[in-house]
Amino acid sequence: MLKQSSRTSLAFLAMVVLLLIASGVCGRAAVRTSDLWWMPEVASKGGVLIDKLTYFIYYLTGAVFVLTQVVYIYFLVKYRSRKGAKATYSHGNNRLELLWTGIPTAIFIGLWGYSNHLWWDVLHAPTPPDTMEVGVLAYQFGFSFQYPGADGKLGQSDVKLIGNDNIFGNDPNDPATKDNFQSSVLELPINKPVRVRLNSRDVIHAFYVPQFRVYQDIVPGRTIDWVWFTPTRLGSYQLACNQLCGSGHYNMKAQIEVVTQEDFDKWYKEKAAAAVIPAGNAPAQSK
Amino acid sequence: MSQTIAHPEASEVESSHGHHAELSFFRKYIWSEDHKTIAIQYLFTSLFFLLVGGLLAMGVRYQLAFPGVPVPIIGSFLPSWLVTSAGAIQPGGYNALFTMHATVMVFLVIMPLLIGVFGNFLIPLKIGAPDMAFPFFNALSYWLFLLSGIILLSSFFAPTGFPASGWTSYAPLSSHAQYNGTQIGQSCWCVGLFVNGLASIAGAANYITTVINMRAPGMKMFRLPLPIWALLITAFLLLLAVPVLSAAAAMLFCDLNFGTSFFSSSNYGQPLLWQHLFWFFGHPEVYIMIVPAMGLVSEIISVNSRKPIFGYKAMVFAMVAIGVLGFIVWGHHMFVSGMNLLLSATFSFSTMVIAVPSAIKTFNWMGTVWGGSIKYTTAMCFALAFVSMFVIGGLSGIYMAATPVDLFIHHTYFIVAHIHYVLFGGSLFGVFGAIYFWFPKMFGRMMNETWGKIHFALAFIFFNCTFFPMHNLGLNGMMRRIADPTQYEHLRSQQPVNIFITLSAFALGLSTIPFLINFFYSMFKGPKAPINPWKSTTLEWTVPWPTPHGNFETTPTVYHGPYEYSVPGMEEDYLPQNQPAPDTVRLAAH
Repeated sequence: MLKQSSRTSLAFLAMVVLLLIASGVCGRAAVRTSDLWWMPEVASKGGVLIDKLTYFIYYLTGAVFVLTQVVYIYFLVKYRSRKGAKATYSHGNNRLELLWTGIPTAIFIGLWGYSNHLWWDVLHAPTPPDTMEVGVLAYQFGFSFQYPGADGKLGQSDVKLIGNDNIFGNDPNDPATKDNFQSSVLELPINKPVRVRLNSRDVIHAFYVPQFRVYQDIVPGRTIDWVWFTPTRLGSYQLACNQLCGSGHYNMKAQIEVVTQEDFDKWYKEKAAAAVIPAGNAPAQSK
Repeated sequence: MSQTIAHPEASEVESSHGHHAELSFFRKYIWSEDHKTIAIQYLFTSLFFLLVGGLLAMGVRYQLAFPGVPVPIIGSFLPSWLVTSAGAIQPGGYNALFTMHATVMVFLVIMPLLIGVFGNFLIPLKIGAPDMAFPFFNALSYWLFLLSGIILLSSFFAPTGFPASGWTSYAPLSSHAQYNGTQIGQSCWCVGLFVNGLASIAGAANYITTVINMRAPGMKMFRLPLPIWALLITAFLLLLAVPVLSAAAAMLFCDLNFGTSFFSSSNYGQPLLWQHLFWFFGHPEVYIMIVPAMGLVSEIISVNSRKPIFGYKAMVFAMVAIGVLGFIVWGHHMFVSGMNLLLSATFSFSTMVIAVPSAIKTFNWMGTVWGGSIKYTTAMCFALAFVSMFVIGGLSGIYMAATPVDLFIHHTYFIVAHIHYVLFGGSLFGVFGAIYFWFPKMFGRMMNETWGKIHFALAFIFFNCTFFPMHNLGLNGMMRRIADPTQYEHLRSQQPVNIFITLSAFALGLSTIPFLINFFYSMFKGPKAPINPWKSTTLEWTVPWPTPHGNFETTPTVYHGPYEYSVPGMEEDYLPQNQPAPDTVRLAAH
């Protein structure tokens, strides 16, 4: 018959082991091709780089977690209270303190170097010359998109000009804005970089596409134009608002279609030709 | 009664001690200036708010698992801002539920439980002082806290209900009634937080003064027990961070009601200003909610391992480092807010650096149990679980600190998992442990250990079942703060996980029942506690129960540091701080 203290320590140990097994099951499930437990399949160029870093941190933190917990649980079992056993009288060890201050510091600063390098690469690198620019307007509760039209240029815009009859704040004096056209769907050609010009009409919204590994808040009163990405996978995605924006927030989304360049050109030509109303009127309601 | 240190307030306390027997019921239990009574007032009040916040969380989880399904039984009694006529939670009502869940838990549960309860109860007792430096302010602080809770919750009865723009209340959603639709609720939120801030500031000033000025003879700073160090550092954080929130809340109130435009996107206002002010408070706030728990847990682990704390000074310096660095990391909440990208890089660096002291503390806790003689009391189980849960919460923080990964998981359920591992698996487990540990000194009786273990086992298992899968949901791209995940294609396959989490959360909620029964039963019927049930070294275990107003019959003298356990050459395995070491024994300096 075990003593009360040993029994409770065994129960505790059993629970910790159960938890470890449970998390192990989660980890194994991660290998499965279905996306039930893991990240949705990446669909952008920058996303691949971000995933590499995510996996790096995953293995690093996983190793740290397993190592510390194995040692910890070993201590908890080995040093449980037993008759006659007395605890070691120790106030610490400065050499150990230095060791476990120094090593984490080096790891964390190294990790910062890696992640910061990537941060500039993904977000701040100059966009390739063939980048397409798309205007995005977020409002309670939806998104509208504006394409550059035949001239391939969005033209100048200013948040101060945003109003009911000019929802993207286009500068009427800039001829490049004249042929812009609107869409309620974000249609994108595959493998072509796209830069989004983000504006909000009321509160803070967000531009979030998990498959592209992209998130950016859209702040009213400002134009945020540094977010760009390159879709690499054909298909339909959903653009979601991920910043609480009011009672309709849960359903604020828009369709993203990544199509071949040919399909895109066809769609683009039709839309540009059909754009009898210049961009800037009420949010487009249909595709 | 001899004088601790010449201090005008201390002598006042003693004179009031002289009139102890004449105190009316009102002065003894309602407007009490005795730090121990105030601590217990805080305890009951914040446990009540814990139930309120927990019920709000149940509402949140119900909606995520069963969106659009009428709430059984109580659905038809809920107000119309919360549910539809059929009794299903509305999207706007859902926003109100999680807004108030977080607000209540942060400002009315975790902060008062850690700082109000254990700050008040332990500081004078552990440093050998008769009471707090400013007993009147102490009482005022409690009543302001209660008032703030009433103000915050009163908007339940407003026609538009609770505030619904999140506990972070990002402007301009929060600052314009036409956007949030809850002018009264949002105004109550501002006023409630302002009043709550006054309570915190009064408390913090009191704690700092008390610890600096009223320590018993011989109680040098490096002989302070770690909970006192933790609470002192926390008090400094409160004093520097909370006024910023108070000012921001006042500005928000003006924007909302008087047409100013501090945070508006027009008229030269700046929405990001709110975020900077809020997080300048908000990140130190995170440490305000975890550092005291670290202090409490350190002591519980040391006592129950029968070992001195490993690296006492390293523990103190780590907490000081967390406190200082905590003020320059707020921007990591704003990597993708539209803030300058270079600033993000800077904040990412300081965030990586602040992880170091947390790592140091973890290693020192492991060093403390190494070579110990561990007694698995309920308090110890919670304290040991705290360490593991804090490790998970800390490691998951690294994902967000890496800016590119934050691009992906920002505002997803990953962060929800992270914060709950720190605040529930961390702070609240620490609080539970501390309640089991100091209950004998608070109420003079022991809590039941068997029921304590049952509470621990249930809380530990269902806590992990509830919050661990949230990491996976977050990696899957589940946004936080959406009322209905089934609206999104990529989340529909996740619904079984959401249902599993919700069922676990209900079980986690029910796991508080054995605790509450044990708590209230033991208060009246538990076995009488000896003066020092855990064979602990610190000064609070030298006073009898009921501890008189004024605490110590004679002011204790302190001879050595707080954690002299298992000193070689001694018969007993602990050496109380007020007893000099026998001549035959040499204490190792820490």
